[in-house]
Amino acid sequence: MIMDPDDRQPAERGLSWWALLLGVAFGIAVALVYTWEIDPVIERNTAPWQLSAADREDYVIAVALSYTANQDLALAFDRLRALRPDQDVWSLVADVACNRIKTGQVVTNSDIRVIRALEGLYRPQGASGCADGQYPTPAPVTLNAPVPSATPSPTLPPPLTKTPTPPVPTDIPQTGEIIPTRTPPAGGYVLSRLESFCNPAAEGMIEIRVYDRLGQGVPGVQVSVTWSGNERDSFFTGLKPEREAGYADFRMTEGRTYTVMVPGLTGDPRSVEAVPCEVTVDGERVTALTSYRINFTQRSN
Amino acid sequence: MTKRYIGSLLVGVLVGIAIGVYIGWEQFPVEYTNSSIAALAPRYQEEYTVMVAEGYQVDRDVNGALTRLQPLGKANVFDYIQDLTERYISQSNVPAISPMVALAEAVGRLTPIMEVYRTTPVPTSVPFPTQ
Repeated sequence: MIMDPDDRQPAERGLSWWALLLGVAFGIAVALVYTWEIDPVIERNTAPWQLSAADREDYVIAVALSYTANQDLALAFDRLRALRPDQDVWSLVADVACNRIKTGQVVTNSDIRVIRALEGLYRPQGASGCADGQYPTPAPVTLNAPVPSATPSPTLPPPLTKTPTPPVPTDIPQTGEIIPTRTPPAGGYVLSRLESFCNPAAEGMIEIRVYDRLGQGVPGVQVSVTWSGNERDSFFTGLKPEREAGYADFRMTEGRTYTVMVPGLTGDPRSVEAVPCEVTVDGERVTALTSYRINFTQRSN
Repeated sequence: MTKRYIGSLLVGVLVGIAIGVYIGWEQFPVEYTNSSIAALAPRYQEEYTVMVAEGYQVDRDVNGALTRLQPLGKANVFDYIQDLTERYISQSNVPAISPMVALAEAVGRLTPIMEVYRTTPVPTSVPFPTQ
């Protein structure tokens, strides 16, 4: 008996659904291995958020330098958002600054300017990190150019007389007042410590400590603080002996940059900036003015 | 029976490959998250270059600027600076022109078209006072 092909069962002529599904699964698997592993899409049109950590750091630095030039905060924010969508971009900047200091990438003046640019971007926005106050921007220096005076008419030197030269006055010892020494030590001082801290109880303070080469506090050392170019104040260490023998302090005004010097200071004087900081006290975030500790130590030679 | 299975399997594989290719290349392509600056989209590369140029305007550190442009991986970064500067001038991209011209000048690529955008004053000779 010969069976007519049209008489076959429908199931034998149609598709096998099990085999079809198995084939689809196998095909998808093969295709994904090929498109994701063997021949993925060519990397192009990458967005900043896809950058590696090192290149992201370069990008953040460029944003900070650009902000230093144009002071366009909204633009800087948008650029940083492209790096870290939906995250705190200012913390990112603070982390970059901190990382550069930790990894010893602050060697040249250019590196210091980078840190200052980064700090100038994140600190006014309330972020903070380990780079805070490490490389404060120095106060602008104003040079007073001598005003040329009218050309003096030549005068003849006075004729010599027989008047005896008056005696040189001798030092008259004073009593009742201690004159602090102003003579710098032979070896001078070096900046041995500069750190910032945030303490609402003592906000905006510059705490200066002067030590000799043995580590003992030195009283009577004149400390000069300058700000706003030509504003200046001087005071001496040791006037608060209850703190330390070589201690003195100075209260800053918000928004100003102060340069602290002692006589015979070796190296460039350092500047600190009175900027707001945040600290957690009893579980509450408190905003205060940043304070600084600056130590000077007598050089050993 | 075997032919039916094999036929179904082949059809399934073809459909599966088509779906997989669509998913792998179009719908969910590989996303790189460890990319270099050299792989940035051109607009981001150019924005990065302008940012570096603005930084140069502040610190005048040409070596620092060139070091920062190094990751772009340009074969000739001087040519790149010049080309981009001239393009910005032709497009009247005003905010970017000044820093780019300054950077181009710093690397010795100040072309005549850039002259009018220089911010550095040209030294002029001071005439001697006449008696």
